[in-house]
Amino acid sequence: MRLYLFCLLISVFPTAAHAVIAQQEMRPAIPANADYLVGEPGKPAVLLLHGFLQTRDFSTVAILARGLHDTGYTVLAPTLSLNIPNRMQSLACEAVHKHSLDDDVAEIGRWVSWLKSQGHRSIVLVGHSFGSLQLLAYLSLKPDAAVKGYIGISLLEAQIGTTVRSALLTQLEGRVRNKQRALVNQGLSFCRKYPSTPEGLLSYARWDQARLLVALKQSPVSVRLIMGDRDDVLGHGWLKALEHVQTPMVIVKGANHFMDGAHEFDLLEYTLKFLGHIHPASAR
Amino acid sequence: MKRRASFSIKQIALAFIIGLLVLVGLIGSFAAYQTRVVTHSLKLQNVNAAQSELEAAVQRLLSRTEEQAIKLARWDETRQQLVLPEYYTYWRDQRVYESGMLDSRYVRAALYDQSGLLLSSGPAKTSLPARLPASLQPHQNSSWLVNEAGAVALYNAFPVYSGEQRQSLLGHGLIRVDFMPALLREDAFHFTDSSNVSLALKPGETLAAADLLSHLSFSARPDPDQLRFQTILSRTLIALFILLAATALFGFVAYNRLLVRPLGRLSQDIDAMQQGRFSPSPSRSQSIRISELESIRRSLYDYQLQLREMHGSLEHQNREFHTQARQDTLTGCHNRRAYEEDWERFRQELKTAPQGVAFLLFDCDRFKTINDTYGHAKGDRVLSIIADALVMALRANDRLYRIGGDEFATFLSRTTPAQAKQVAQRCQSLIDAAGFGDLGIIEPVGLSIGIAFCAADQLEHVDELPKQADIAMYTAKQPGRTRIALYGEDTERASQTLVASRETSALFQALAAPGMIEMHYQAIHALPGRQVDYYEALARIRYHGTLIQPEAFLPVVSSRRLETEFDLAVLNQVDTDLSSGQLPTGCGISINLSAQSISHPEIVSQLLELSRHNARHPLMLEITETSLITQMVEVSTYLDLLRTVNYRIAMDDFGTGYSPLRYLVDLPVDVVKFDISLVNKLGQDNRAGQVVADFARMMSEVGYSLVAEGVETEAVLRKVESLGIAHAQGYLLGRPIPLAELAASLTSEGVEAACNL
Repeated sequence: MRLYLFCLLISVFPTAAHAVIAQQEMRPAIPANADYLVGEPGKPAVLLLHGFLQTRDFSTVAILARGLHDTGYTVLAPTLSLNIPNRMQSLACEAVHKHSLDDDVAEIGRWVSWLKSQGHRSIVLVGHSFGSLQLLAYLSLKPDAAVKGYIGISLLEAQIGTTVRSALLTQLEGRVRNKQRALVNQGLSFCRKYPSTPEGLLSYARWDQARLLVALKQSPVSVRLIMGDRDDVLGHGWLKALEHVQTPMVIVKGANHFMDGAHEFDLLEYTLKFLGHIHPASAR
Repeated sequence: MKRRASFSIKQIALAFIIGLLVLVGLIGSFAAYQTRVVTHSLKLQNVNAAQSELEAAVQRLLSRTEEQAIKLARWDETRQQLVLPEYYTYWRDQRVYESGMLDSRYVRAALYDQSGLLLSSGPAKTSLPARLPASLQPHQNSSWLVNEAGAVALYNAFPVYSGEQRQSLLGHGLIRVDFMPALLREDAFHFTDSSNVSLALKPGETLAAADLLSHLSFSARPDPDQLRFQTILSRTLIALFILLAATALFGFVAYNRLLVRPLGRLSQDIDAMQQGRFSPSPSRSQSIRISELESIRRSLYDYQLQLREMHGSLEHQNREFHTQARQDTLTGCHNRRAYEEDWERFRQELKTAPQGVAFLLFDCDRFKTINDTYGHAKGDRVLSIIADALVMALRANDRLYRIGGDEFATFLSRTTPAQAKQVAQRCQSLIDAAGFGDLGIIEPVGLSIGIAFCAADQLEHVDELPKQADIAMYTAKQPGRTRIALYGEDTERASQTLVASRETSALFQALAAPGMIEMHYQAIHALPGRQVDYYEALARIRYHGTLIQPEAFLPVVSSRRLETEFDLAVLNQVDTDLSSGQLPTGCGISINLSAQSISHPEIVSQLLELSRHNARHPLMLEITETSLITQMVEVSTYLDLLRTVNYRIAMDDFGTGYSPLRYLVDLPVDVVKFDISLVNKLGQDNRAGQVVADFARMMSEVGYSLVAEGVETEAVLRKVESLGIAHAQGYLLGRPIPLAELAASLTSEGVEAACNL
């Protein structure tokens, strides 16, 4: 199967030339863009979202996007603006983070709408790492009906290190309430130093493992997780917790958080397998 | 050929060292000049390198600033601040540095909105323009420099767009760089002196970055390698010069000590040797370190020793020679050379110390006869005895000189004529008392002394003393004298003797030049008829028109031992006269010869030559016997020989010489001529006259033909005739006359009358 996919990637490589960049103004003076890879009609469009502070050019996402597109799927790979006009680079942890999960979810919604505007009626949301959390946050709200499925790759909560989350949330809520605009430098995810606005940090910090599990259970669309059993980024007991609540999940043996190397093909295989179950009639 | 000036070895050494130092100096100067040229070239290269380096640094700074501007323009967070500038100061003061967008606190960044206004003028370490210059191109990067209160700031303004497509201008960015610190922060300045880099920009003045290089001033950093090279070279040159100078000085000192001084000493020694001065203690201990010179010194030393020994020996020999040269080996008294030197010195002394001077001349009477009779050995002994006696007789400080064979002389200082005569008499007394009889000499040995005196006030005539003493001495020798004669007092014919020296000169000239001797002929008359039988040739000397008589020059002939030469001259002149034919044939000629001459071959030869005239003019030889005939056998033989060629032999002056009877016995004598002293006895009626008469009669009876000489009175002539003497001669009968006069008289009288042939 892997050999087949490899040959397929090689044979359809020229189709990458059909990629276009889609751009939308998410907020005033803050445009954002996405790679729009047009696939075969009748197949669901895939909205592929990158991880924390990354761009669509991150390797795991880029390779997967190319694989999906090469197999005929339309792929839209946006780069979240994080309130930066036409953001093109990974945002440094130390940069001023003036974005929030709400902004991210809003941009996801706008890209879903954009896909629909492009005629796609069956959309599968695929996210990697923190992107999976952001897509899940989008699903936890009132997602567009065109969204038919969700694949979370290396899904994890908003990690805040050793900080007591409840205390942090209380502190942040107090800052927000008191309209304190001073940047909060609290570690988030892989960033040990993360200067951000209180409301922005608060929006992310609320998504702990429990909230993720709830969101998964309450997802309105088909859910599938692809996890690696060698993912050191994941919080302790996260995989067991997912298994405990019987979340549809594929655990790739030997894969780490980024599913790199040979596991790229596993990721694509399992993604395609899930996409195969999505009813084609519901597509564009 | 002009001789080149010589130089001393010290001068050559000095010249060499000075030349060496000058050469080193020139080389050093040339090296220093080349070093300066190279240094200048290196300095230029260094300046060029510094300029290139500074330009490169400036260019790097501008490029880096440009790159930073580009990076900032493309940075997401820059765009974020232009859209959401809430945390702009955080971005400006912290984020741009943390992110590495700006790498130095010397660099500041600021953002301006689309209208060029500064986003925030919040507190900042460095104030940035509140508004961008209006002259900036909106979509281009611009770079300029401003002098802000003495600090030069480099600004780079750049546009910031919302996306890669540069569709929407979000605003502008500005980078401010503290130019000098940023520029000098370049740690790669190897050639540029960072402390001297400056930018000529007035406060508030703005300068486009493109014109930056032309306003930069700088200086090159001294090249440490070059400085080190210069230092090393300078030190090396100085050290080399000092080393060479020290070496030259040391070499000169060593050269001076090892070569110059020894050579100088050797040269001085050689000069001293050349001048005959020998070091009494040659510096043998001062050895020379140069082996060759030491060898020369040793050789010179040995040579000097040899020379000194030789010189000493020569001096000794010279003294010996000097003594010998001034001493008569036979008698031990001073010789003629010493006499001449001492006399000359004495004469010089007289000029400063006038005094009475007496010159004494001694002559041994008949010494020649004694010498011939008893042999040279006894003659020499006689002279020694005489010399000893004279030395004893003289005063202590008087010197005796032997100035001739039997002639002695002395000069007495501070004396008077009387004292001189006393000395002379003392001399004669000692001679008379000397024991000549011990030598077997029977004959009395006498001494004739001539004295000449010069008073202290007549010293201008002192040079004439020897001549005057000579005259006095001949005066003393004359028969009947006391054998001591004082010139001027005892000389009877002073006017004649005054010219003695003139006659001596005449004699020598006559011997040298034929013709000056003039023969006068005195007739010898046969008795009792008194007719002329033959003529006796008598010599005279014609000198400057004056005729000099025999008694004036014969003593000179005798004293100078010139008998043979004189006889030869006489024979030549007689030959000439006879050959002239002025004498008529048949006129015999009698010629006087000394017995000594007979024994000389040249005389005999001349006589044999002359004998050709015997056919026309019978010739007779009159042998004077005033001297002792020592070679009796030879004389007898020669006389026999001459008789074979028809010479007749006559014994002249019989009665005055030595051993006349023996001569008559041993010699082939035909005629005996009685001396005038004997003839004068004939006139006396005493026993002496009787003896002479008896003797003459006896001689005639045994066959000798007798001739009476000096017949001046008629009484004597009659006596002679009465005794039966065959011939007579004298002024009574006729004086000697010259040949021409004789020839004339003979012509007038007739030959037969003149010559009794």
